[in-house]
Amino acid sequence: MPETSEIRRQKDSQSNPQGEEIRIGVYTCHCGGNISDVVRCEKVAKVLSEMPNVVVSRTHMAMCSDAGQAMVEEDIRERGVNRVVIGACAPSLHEQTFRRTVARAGLNPYLYYHVCLREQDSWVSGGDCEGATEKAIRLMAAGIAKARHLKALDPIRLDAKQRALVIGGGVAGLRSAWDIARRGIQVTLIEKSPFLGGRMAQLETTFPAGETARELLHDLIERVLAHPNVTVHTRAELVGVRGYVGDFHVQIRRQSRGVSDDFAQAQAEAAIAACPVEVPDEFNYGLTTRKAIYRAYPGCTPATPAIDWENCTLCGKCLQVNGQGIDLENKPETFEINVGAVVVATGFRPYEPRQGEYGYGEFPEVVTLPQLIRLLALAGESEGLEWNGHPVRNIAMIHCVGSRQIEGIHEPQPDGQVNDYCSRVCCTATLHLANELRGRFPNVNVFDVYQDIRTYGRGHEDYYTQASANMVRFLRFHAEEPPEVVPAPDGDSCPVLVKIKDYLTWGEEIEVPVDLVVLAVGIMPRPIDDLIKMLKISPGTDRFLLEVHPKLRPVETAVPGIVLAGTAQGPMNIQESCAAASAAAAKVAVLLGQGLVELEPFVARVDPERCRGSGQCVEVCCYEDAISLQTFSVNGREVQRAVVTPANCTGCGACVSACPNRAIDVQGWTLEQYEAMVDAIAADLPASEVGV
Amino acid sequence: MNGKEEAKKRTQLLKRLREEHKDTVARTQALLKEQNAIRKQICQVMRDAPKTVPEVAEATGLPASQVLWHVTAMKKYNLVVETGMCGEYYLYRRVEETKI
Amino acid sequence: MASDKLRVDALVVGGGIAGMQSALDLADQGYQVALVEKEASIGGKMIALSKVFPTLDCCSCITTPKMSAVAHHRNIHLLTYCEVQSIRENGGGFVAQVLKKPRYVNEDLCTGCRQCEYACPIDLPDPFDRGYGAHRAIRVPFSTAVPQIAVLDIENCLLCGKCEQVCPVSAVDFTQTPQQLEIEAGSIVLATGYEVTPRDAKKEYGGGKLPNVIDALFMERLLAPTGPYGHVLRPGDGKEPESIAYVQCAGSRDQTLGVPYCSRVCCMYAIKQAMLISGALPLADVTIYYMDIRTFGKGYEQFYQNAKAMGIEFVKGKVARITEDENQNPIVRVELIDEGSRVVERTHDLVVLSVGMLPRYNPQPLYGVPVADDGFVEVPSPNISPCVTDRPGIFVTGTAAGPMDIVDSIMTAGAAASEAAAYLRARKSASSVSTTTGKERELVYA
Ligand SMILES: Cc1cc2nc3c(=O)[nH]c(=O)nc-3n(C[C@H](O)[C@H](O)[C@H](O)COP(=O)(O)OP(=O)(O)OC[C@H]3O[C@@H](n4cnc5c(N)ncnc54)[C@H](O)[C@@H]3O)c2cc1C
Ligand SMILES: Cc1cc2nc3c(=O)[nH]c(=O)nc-3n(C[C@H](O)[C@H](O)[C@H](O)COP(=O)(O)OP(=O)(O)OC[C@H]3O[C@@H](n4cnc5c(N)ncnc54)[C@H](O)[C@@H]3O)c2cc1C
Ligand code: SF4
Repeated sequence: MPETSEIRRQKDSQSNPQGEEIRIGVYTCHCGGNISDVVRCEKVAKVLSEMPNVVVSRTHMAMCSDAGQAMVEEDIRERGVNRVVIGACAPSLHEQTFRRTVARAGLNPYLYYHVCLREQDSWVSGGDCEGATEKAIRLMAAGIAKARHLKALDPIRLDAKQRALVIGGGVAGLRSAWDIARRGIQVTLIEKSPFLGGRMAQLETTFPAGETARELLHDLIERVLAHPNVTVHTRAELVGVRGYVGDFHVQIRRQSRGVSDDFAQAQAEAAIAACPVEVPDEFNYGLTTRKAIYRAYPGCTPATPAIDWENCTLCGKCLQVNGQGIDLENKPETFEINVGAVVVATGFRPYEPRQGEYGYGEFPEVVTLPQLIRLLALAGESEGLEWNGHPVRNIAMIHCVGSRQIEGIHEPQPDGQVNDYCSRVCCTATLHLANELRGRFPNVNVFDVYQDIRTYGRGHEDYYTQASANMVRFLRFHAEEPPEVVPAPDGDSCPVLVKIKDYLTWGEEIEVPVDLVVLAVGIMPRPIDDLIKMLKISPGTDRFLLEVHPKLRPVETAVPGIVLAGTAQGPMNIQESCAAASAAAAKVAVLLGQGLVELEPFVARVDPERCRGSGQCVEVCCYEDAISLQTFSVNGREVQRAVVTPANCTGCGACVSACPNRAIDVQGWTLEQYEAMVDAIAADLPASEVGV
Repeated sequence: MNGKEEAKKRTQLLKRLREEHKDTVARTQALLKEQNAIRKQICQVMRDAPKTVPEVAEATGLPASQVLWHVTAMKKYNLVVETGMCGEYYLYRRVEETKI
Repeated sequence: MASDKLRVDALVVGGGIAGMQSALDLADQGYQVALVEKEASIGGKMIALSKVFPTLDCCSCITTPKMSAVAHHRNIHLLTYCEVQSIRENGGGFVAQVLKKPRYVNEDLCTGCRQCEYACPIDLPDPFDRGYGAHRAIRVPFSTAVPQIAVLDIENCLLCGKCEQVCPVSAVDFTQTPQQLEIEAGSIVLATGYEVTPRDAKKEYGGGKLPNVIDALFMERLLAPTGPYGHVLRPGDGKEPESIAYVQCAGSRDQTLGVPYCSRVCCMYAIKQAMLISGALPLADVTIYYMDIRTFGKGYEQFYQNAKAMGIEFVKGKVARITEDENQNPIVRVELIDEGSRVVERTHDLVVLSVGMLPRYNPQPLYGVPVADDGFVEVPSPNISPCVTDRPGIFVTGTAAGPMDIVDSIMTAGAAASEAAAYLRARKSASSVSTTTGKERELVYA
């Protein structure tokens, strides 16, 4: 049982030597006009220069530039500045930059305070120069007031577990796992379904190089499985998370496969054949059926079939083939592993058109692009293309179904969502397929109904050029006037008509009779609400997972240690998914590779002198294991005192307001600092300082 | 080495370099001569009042794009300043102590 | 001052955003990195841009801190104004001979005060401002350059010695000569970037002779706070334009120029510039002549819809020709596709060509890395390994591997760093028979 005196000693070691003169350097950034076009920066600097403790007050075109930073460093080194306040862009952009600057000059990085003069002032002041300038002075004055009370702090340093968790066994998850493993870090990959590969396994040849999807995947899966640093669990899902970057405790629930790995190939086939259950096969997007004991596709990994627990009737027919290898009881097990970082690679799902959207679900002749891919694969080497028992001679492919939706024009989805983004892969995928159709079935006419052809990537434009050369007929519609799919009048040669106002021909109303309509459906994130909640990450308005900043921190989420890979973040093709996955792996290596992670020290801190052990703080705290009462002995008497576990504390401050004894403060954001800031904001400005 | 000697050495070095780079120096000198002549004209036009680029072009007979280039250069190095607008054009004034 | 022999884990060639990010991602993992940039400052094309889509962050806000981080990183050796002259293999690693070009300024002494620049009498077209602005024969490359060190262009120097006289720290040094430097590196990351279609490439568009037809990179400079005029003015006569037109695909998707591919960024940058112009010149009309609007990235389509809502005019049409009237106002002859290919002529004050991306550098002869038909570095397995070149140990990132925007360049930069790290590690463990456990990371930093 530690003595309180020990706790006190800890506290003292962090506070500043008393009596040091406070010398504040204040800098007002022009932000290349972003601030200075509205705020009179020179005037702000002049007013601030006269405030107590301010020893230098300067402006600069761009404080974040090397020259701006050098200026601060020089003031620290040469002019004894020991507190720094910079008024610039939002702290999310450059607070870290300037902390590093200050640290480089030998000052504790937390003796720096960042004031936002752009997002919170110049950009929102509607050009009111006087108002914005006064506001800038007040905000900066508050910053200076806080700076007087700043104390040196040390980041929280934690050991980083040399293991990462990858969620999702699609191409992005696999690629990420492989890169992390190659970097010498252990990886556990969990895949929800019984088979690896994700959506890419459902593709045949791929753009942009014509490579065969499953061959590429197979190769990658082999490499992943062969790597000694990788552990893969299929049928596994995340069910709980505790901890923080460097030290997450994740609970994984794994369902049984139902079939043991030593089940021989021939027997597997027999067992599958014996199963009487037939359910729509999701691998073929419902075009075919599969059994309740099944393989996703021939050659899938793992090769061992799995039992589909939802649809298995436990009839035992498969057992009759070989009872030894099959166990018809699902025995899910839950286990915990300890990881330093988590990669979320949960992928996408194709947009499912509404009943009746372009005739989907109404006419059997309307299918989606992913279905067409499966359809063509199933057609095999056959000479002609058939659908629904009829030969197909005319096909219309409609772009942007479930993408680029516009409020007021497109009907929202049941949950009110409008997919206002472009899905990025469908244009090239559609043209790739159009070319394949024309190549394999020269008698089939292909009509491509589009808004803009977005074959943007390297090698993609060739598919467009080739489609034109292949006599694919292009028809262009405006978003406001989408095409319609209607039944053909009786006696017509084709079952349905696509009606379109075609802007390539004077906006003429054209009716195209077709045998098959293919909807180029967009990409949507998989429903992973549970995962989002558990990991405390956030989706954007498009519902894809949100990165911190697309340029500064493109694969990181707002939760330290949780990174994104692949289409869970937004529409991407395979190449982009793999690049993102490797970038995510690099981030994991940066985080864990050094064996240590650093967290911000802005956490609650208990003053043991003042704490009376009321426990109210523990009650209000919403975070697990962040604060607890512990027993200490003081002069031989046992007392309860609150103790914070810094790594679990988010610094939300709930405990601060609950404490009846003012015994808790959030470091770096103390009540004393707040009070000083409020006083400074509300203080009268000398008459000379307001107005012109 | 004393200052005088050093200065002498420097002068010699420059002389040697000028010899080595004879062609570029000649080309650059011609360029400078032309530049100075144009600048003189521009300053002349701006002597009494601020002028727009087309006004200077008109007065000097130089192409407006060339005038703009020179004014831009002079502005960058604080030889002229901008002083408001006249219609769709900015006005430029020469800085008092500008000598060409 | 760098010694004449350097041993690092990775050599990154090119200091644009992609190269910088790759270097940072490697250095943050503990690897030693040499970053070789041929210009006098790092930053690449990005540092010259105004604001960047889709977030409309001011570009220097994103770029300068990265430049500064590169310059100050203890694991990065920054070598600007240097060029790799030869590469040879040495036991699985590479040895690069690097030429350090003379700046004629002592790097250790120069403080970037720019007094030399003010003293120099000769003004030259400044490539940073696409030639429309001026710089002196000696200058700090641009205001946010890293390093902030002057460089003297001896090819356009009068050798008058004025700079030498005014330099307060006697940094000007005419005795400098090219220096040789040897870098031994375990792997190489190529990040040599892109160039834009030359302004005179298309005769139909005036062949670069019409003064009020500019390229989009110059518009970036006009919109940047540090731009040459300080305003959006047309370069023909300094007029504030009231009607501005964008011609999309000016140099891309164009068989006649041998550039059949899409340059991927032009739609977005044109829309971005149109929005910024609307802010800078609220009364100006902006028209974008396009074939397809390709706003495919995250948040890009919404960006496009916002621009439409702001009143920017999008006209689907192929611009056949650009001429000018007697006041040098460009006349755009366009086939209006949405109106049955009716041909009209429209006069604007300023026309901006949305120029495409071309490869900046061909690494084939020096690095033995093949380029594809489009001239960009070939990536044999584009789907799964987008940063792996044909030569083991050499990786590629950013626009050296084809047109892409900054977001994608940064993504591939991380990916290339990942590849290089894995490669280095495999090499190390091959040479020091060891098991692959998490504990052996110390090995890597040797
Ligand atoms: C019609 C169509 C055609 C296409 N054609 C091409 C092409 O030719 N070329 C090309 O480059 N790209 C193409 N694409 C894009 C390509 O399919 C994707 O880029 C790629 O599959 C994305 O991989 P991913 O790993 O991000 O996602 P996914 O493939 O969706 O993988 C995600 C994985 O995570 C698992 N998972 C989900 N949630 C959880 C959870 N909670 N716990 C555990 N596991 C979970 C899933 O089961 C899945 O296995 C096409 C896309 C479509 C729709
Ligand atoms: C007009 C315009 C506007 C744009 N606006 C945006 C925007 O708003 N948002 C966005 O995301 N993207 C935008 N882009 C795209 C953006 O510029 C590029 O994506 C990005 O700059 C690419 O960076 P990079 O590092 O690959 O190449 P670069 O910036 O070209 O960098 C390459 C670097 O390598 C150096 N180098 C070349 N060869 C060698 C060699 N042999 N040895 C040593 N060094 C070498 C070069 O000097 C250069 O510094 C725009 C592009 C244009 C043309
Ligand atoms: S990629 Fe093409 S089809 Fe898909 S949403 Fe974008 S524009 Fe529409």
